Amino acid sequence: MISKLDLPDIQGNIVKAYGRYGFPRARYVFYQINDSTKGRKFVENVTPLVTTSVPWSEDKPKNVPAVAVNIAFTYQGLKHLDIPDDTLHGFPDEFAMGMKARRDIIGDNGPNHFEHWDKIWNDPADKFSQNVHVLIGLNAKEEGPLEAAYQQICGILAATGGVTQLVGHRGANGVEDLPYQSAIASDSNREHFGYADGISTSYFEGCRESARYVVGGGKPTGLDPTTKEGWAPLAAGEFVFGHADESGAYPEAPGPPLFSRNGTYMVYRKLHQNVATFRTFLEAEGSKFGDVETFAAKLSGRWRNGAPLATFWTKESANQFVAELGALLEKSRLADAGQGQISDAEKAHLAELRLQLTAYDYNDDTTGAKCPFSAHTRRTNPRSALQFGEKKPFDTPGALSNRRRILRRGLPYGESPANTTDADEHGVIMMIVNADLSRQFEFVQEQWINYGNDFRLSNDQDPLLGNNGFNENGRGKGRMLIEGDSQTNRSPYFCSGIPTMVETRGGDYFFVPSMTCLRMIAMGIVDPT
Amino acid sequence: MANQMGNAYALTLLCPIRHGVPQQCPEGLGGQTSAACVRYLLQDVMRVSLDSPMAKVPNTYLSRFYILEDVPYQGKPAKLEHLGSNYLVFCADFHGDLDTWLTGMWNAIQPEICGLLQYCFGFESVHDCASFITWIKKCQVETTFFFDGSTDEPLAVQLKNLYLKQEFSKFVYANQGNGPETIQANFREFVALTQPDNIDAPTWKPGAYGLDKVVSGLKTQGAG
Repeated sequence: MISKLDLPDIQGNIVKAYGRYGFPRARYVFYQINDSTKGRKFVENVTPLVTTSVPWSEDKPKNVPAVAVNIAFTYQGLKHLDIPDDTLHGFPDEFAMGMKARRDIIGDNGPNHFEHWDKIWNDPADKFSQNVHVLIGLNAKEEGPLEAAYQQICGILAATGGVTQLVGHRGANGVEDLPYQSAIASDSNREHFGYADGISTSYFEGCRESARYVVGGGKPTGLDPTTKEGWAPLAAGEFVFGHADESGAYPEAPGPPLFSRNGTYMVYRKLHQNVATFRTFLEAEGSKFGDVETFAAKLSGRWRNGAPLATFWTKESANQFVAELGALLEKSRLADAGQGQISDAEKAHLAELRLQLTAYDYNDDTTGAKCPFSAHTRRTNPRSALQFGEKKPFDTPGALSNRRRILRRGLPYGESPANTTDADEHGVIMMIVNADLSRQFEFVQEQWINYGNDFRLSNDQDPLLGNNGFNENGRGKGRMLIEGDSQTNRSPYFCSGIPTMVETRGGDYFFVPSMTCLRMIAMGIVDPT
Repeated sequence: MANQMGNAYALTLLCPIRHGVPQQCPEGLGGQTSAACVRYLLQDVMRVSLDSPMAKVPNTYLSRFYILEDVPYQGKPAKLEHLGSNYLVFCADFHGDLDTWLTGMWNAIQPEICGLLQYCFGFESVHDCASFITWIKKCQVETTFFFDGSTDEPLAVQLKNLYLKQEFSKFVYANQGNGPETIQANFREFVALTQPDNIDAPTWKPGAYGLDKVVSGLKTQGAG
């Protein structure tokens, strides 16, 4: 296994969730290549702007760009850049087919079908085609530099020619005429359903991110999950080509090795949130359940303030935890800014509290009394949930989940004021990084979000993300069992009528090349022979 | 004990298929081998569906046919070996003893099963139920592998159990939050409708994928 990655060769969005670095604003711009030579020229001119995975730290401010720029390509995009057939044939079917063609596997049917996607994804001449070739993502702290970087790339595009910027993202007025997709995290870091977001993501070997993210983000070691010793980084090959993965093999990737090494796949998904439907459902069903906020926590596995349900079983304990954590974070921030001080004891306590956000598994909740089996976060990052209480059932701890992990990137878009409707434009731009689309993203989407068998929940779906559908009377068809608690005598709650809360509005599978690969594409020297 | 676990029986047959081209074959398959005729019948008459002949054989939990053409070669240092003929492999799990089940099969689907097995060696000796059972036992190999998805109850009991479980789950969701009197009244209605003591109806049909087909009689898969 490797201990060091060539971070200057790896694009920055693979290692960094930019939102965590105070880069809450994004624009996602899509292009079609009409002329391969000019297309490669466009890649050549954009490549120097691309942000790498070199660590950002305060002692090296020059490493921190005003705008983080990243570029990625669909299969058709690579084809239109004259990548040789032998290299293209090295890509697995799911990447070559693209997201639309994989709709039956990932649940993009009904309201998720591509007929309902933003215009940019549907070429009127052939809706089944993959007309999006290139994705450029821009992330920044401020709107000014973001606009400047966007204009710079527009300038490159105009000078190069042969590449069309695709227009047709749906805007706040409902018209599909926007030239790019905007996204922005709220000041409180809450997504539109009100849940604190971006708390946990996968952590892998050599990424050089803060070591505290290994807790809950890495793989279980079999030791105490409430400590750092309970977690180890996942193998880099789960997320980056050219490195060993959790099976000890290199992930399948096209040749030549230099083409794929340090690259990966990124899934781009525009997920519309039916915020009004969610709020109505939450109020009605939460009131019947007994408490709206507790019901919201049961749906997700985290309280909406971010505290994990597996550790904080009551609303009071969750609120107290988050209040204490928030106060210490603020004190730490002020101390860093030279206003006031924070004692060593307080720093140590802050570290302990931060740990509690992610340091848990489900071994002491095998009945689902605290966190339901069907809760969104217990499904999508099951930790020990698939052991069902058995002590050390596998030689490898986490054997059933270590190869299904994904990196979550992306940000919310749009606004959701109190009087919002489902028709308003708001949701999340979900970006998922993994080295094997079929084994990782598609598996989680198909088996853990849109099915329940692995959790002994028959065909129940993820209550928040599942494609629940509606019956002929317009009632949601989703169901969720909220297990009872024998200790508090709480009865089980059988929740039905769950509507579809999240709908796909666009997306595709992208290859995120290394810096070396970008230069090879630009020079036209990819040679698989 | 091999082949039996409680009241469940696991049958495995390896039936050698005749070499060459048979004199009689299904329409359109003239000149094709016996193995090709068997495969055609498996993909046509015996196809998995609500109308599958195997769904008509009493007390059948699960059955599966396939043709074993040869043994795979895994490369050196393994020895390259071949089978002397193609085999029709048949596996079934069912309730009760073998003779009773085979008699049930003979009575329910004699034309279909004879149509299939006529391409196998020695089947010309079969002319009634007794000779059918004798021939089948010649092809039997012992097994300890059982289908994990069922108990050893009679099929009708298992299907009624499934039906009641599914309907009761709907009842629970529908009555969430109702008062004790309403639940009691609704439960009485539930019992009257589902008739838990009546094994034969209402219930799942053998071979059905979903309950909607039972209720509506539709062959298309239900939305539930």
